[in-house]
Amino acid sequence: MGLRTTLSVLACKTSCALLRKLKKGGTTTPGKIALKVYPEVLRDLAKGVNVTVVTGTNGKTTTSRMIDEAMEEAGLHYFANRSGANLLSGIVTIFCQNAWLSGKCRERHALIECDEAAFRVVSKYLDAKCVVVTNVFRDQLDRYGEISHTIDLITEGIKNSPDAVVCLNADCSMTSSIAQRVPNKVIYFGVDTPIYENTKPELSDAPYCIHCKSEYKYEYVTYGHLGGFYCEKCGYRRQDTQVSAEKVLTAGADYSDIRLKLMDKSYDCRINLPGGYNIYNAVSAAAACKVMGIPDETIVRSLGKFHCGFGRMEKVDIHGTSVRMILVKNPTGCNQALSFVTNVQEPTTLVFALNDRYADSTDVSWIWDVDYAKICGMGTHLRKIYVTGIRADDMAVRLKYDGVPADQIIKEKDYDRLFEKLLAEKGNVCILPTYTAMLELRGKISKLTEIKDFWE
Amino acid sequence: MQDYEIKICHLYPDILNLYGDRGNIIAMQRRLEWRGIRATVTDINVHQTFCWQDYDLFFIGGGQDFEQEILMQDIHSGKGEAIREAVEAGKVFLAICGGYQLLGNYYETWDGKRMDFIGAVDLYTKGAKDRMIGNYLFQMEDGTKVVAFENHSGRTYLGQGVKPLGTVLYGGGNNGQDGTEGARYKNVFGTYGHGSLLPKNPALCDQILSLAVEAKYPGKKLLPLNDTLEQEANQYMVDRLSK
Repeated sequence: MGLRTTLSVLACKTSCALLRKLKKGGTTTPGKIALKVYPEVLRDLAKGVNVTVVTGTNGKTTTSRMIDEAMEEAGLHYFANRSGANLLSGIVTIFCQNAWLSGKCRERHALIECDEAAFRVVSKYLDAKCVVVTNVFRDQLDRYGEISHTIDLITEGIKNSPDAVVCLNADCSMTSSIAQRVPNKVIYFGVDTPIYENTKPELSDAPYCIHCKSEYKYEYVTYGHLGGFYCEKCGYRRQDTQVSAEKVLTAGADYSDIRLKLMDKSYDCRINLPGGYNIYNAVSAAAACKVMGIPDETIVRSLGKFHCGFGRMEKVDIHGTSVRMILVKNPTGCNQALSFVTNVQEPTTLVFALNDRYADSTDVSWIWDVDYAKICGMGTHLRKIYVTGIRADDMAVRLKYDGVPADQIIKEKDYDRLFEKLLAEKGNVCILPTYTAMLELRGKISKLTEIKDFWE
Repeated sequence: MQDYEIKICHLYPDILNLYGDRGNIIAMQRRLEWRGIRATVTDINVHQTFCWQDYDLFFIGGGQDFEQEILMQDIHSGKGEAIREAVEAGKVFLAICGGYQLLGNYYETWDGKRMDFIGAVDLYTKGAKDRMIGNYLFQMEDGTKVVAFENHSGRTYLGQGVKPLGTVLYGGGNNGQDGTEGARYKNVFGTYGHGSLLPKNPALCDQILSLAVEAKYPGKKLLPLNDTLEQEANQYMVDRLSK
């Protein structure tokens, strides 16, 4: 470590402080400045730090927060990039913030959520001890080109992490294929049974065998292309899990109860967050915790009291109106969110907020792969439908073509007026925003209430 | 009252199904149904044979390279010929991106590898290293402005006797050079437009549907629909891209 590292850390810390004074939540700019001063700074900052990386298409943030909860519960000395800034610049920022001016890290552990394309670069500088790959779904193809390319990027990242134990989703045929391409020790996590009864098949992102290209068969499907897949032709199949939901006992509106397998033991475990995909997030988090050596009891306890924020099933009360926000980024995630929303027991107003900035996916085509028709079956449980965001017009058309009568779709692009209307109507509201719409709506909500600013 | 029915054939939905192209099928189906015309959709996957005379309207979407080998074997074992016949017989086709390229003569990768395609429409595509990605806007001969999203590294060039579908007003189009977008040949509509294309371009959708309906039921016209939401979605992007 030398002068350049110190200068770089100093530049980063100073700009952080400055941006905070200006009330601008700088989570990436300071890192960019640090990288300008010294492009290799992260290598110095991460030296000797026990890093866990969480990457994959869906569930990175929630999985990270679950691991976060368990690390805290276990009393580990660590830091995490909780703001969701998961590109190189954001990761450099958080490492700088937790370093002494010498460049030495103040903590022993780091928990890093990392964008699946950024991981390839970030991994060069970190000697990760654990890498979790949550899943691979069709996501922002405008960024990565193709879904198979995403696998290549993640594989490259793991090749840069020779000391890492790799936790892979056994139920995802694409994710688990990484095991054959890397020499690392692998732990498989998954869900050993179907989650919902009467699962209707949704669009699969991976119908064909990644090795021999014949069609997969399934012993069971949990959702999307996840489940007990096998290929009759070449024999590629779901691997046995070491960490899993052996049984789903209840999948309710506020939590799920499962039988959690942790290596050779199993426990009754509550996941304090509803939705089938959060069962996956819980088992992937549990796998990472096992790698870190966190005791089983601590893992189970922390999943049971876990509260999520930041637009992931986040629930806030605004002057008597209960608002739940469920971030949606791609067809599979959105179908899952709708399965949850359409099963609520109280009359609910739905808000669809569609933006098309870089972080949302500039291509809004993905909404045409979502099955919105199920909201037509909500009957009296559906109060009103609003569409908002930059591409509210596209959203309105989408709903119309899935059977929602055009005169029942209320377009309100102005967030202030939207909240005025929602609050005047009282009752439950469920918002399904894309990423930047979520940030904007959260900003409005934090003005109306007191949820934390996102850079804290 | 006469019973009207349009049979849509969705070619390769198992492989060419990227980027929400399913939205085009939904749009065609709904816009027929709203006019009292029954619409049935038949999926024809890889390894399935089909009789092109059974259908009124064909759709082929875009795909990714991963599954291309399976596709190549399939088009060269009979299906390509059937598609050529259907096109020549004047059947209505909408082909998007990968499906559009597939109707052409061949695809040459950026490093010179050549793959023979169906050859139903005289056009060819050359791969390039950089992709043309983003919202784009083109105008058809009748003045209709079409908004869509393109995402392709292939550069497509039209042969003699093939007209472009439109002129690019914003974005790349066929090849980023000659200002053309898509192709029109007989009753084939080829384009790079994702988005999905048809829902927010109802005029284009109705043009395609009219051809299919009139071929089957001569003299039958499509009734106008209330397209307020569709027009708003179209206009928003036209305005945004015309700035």
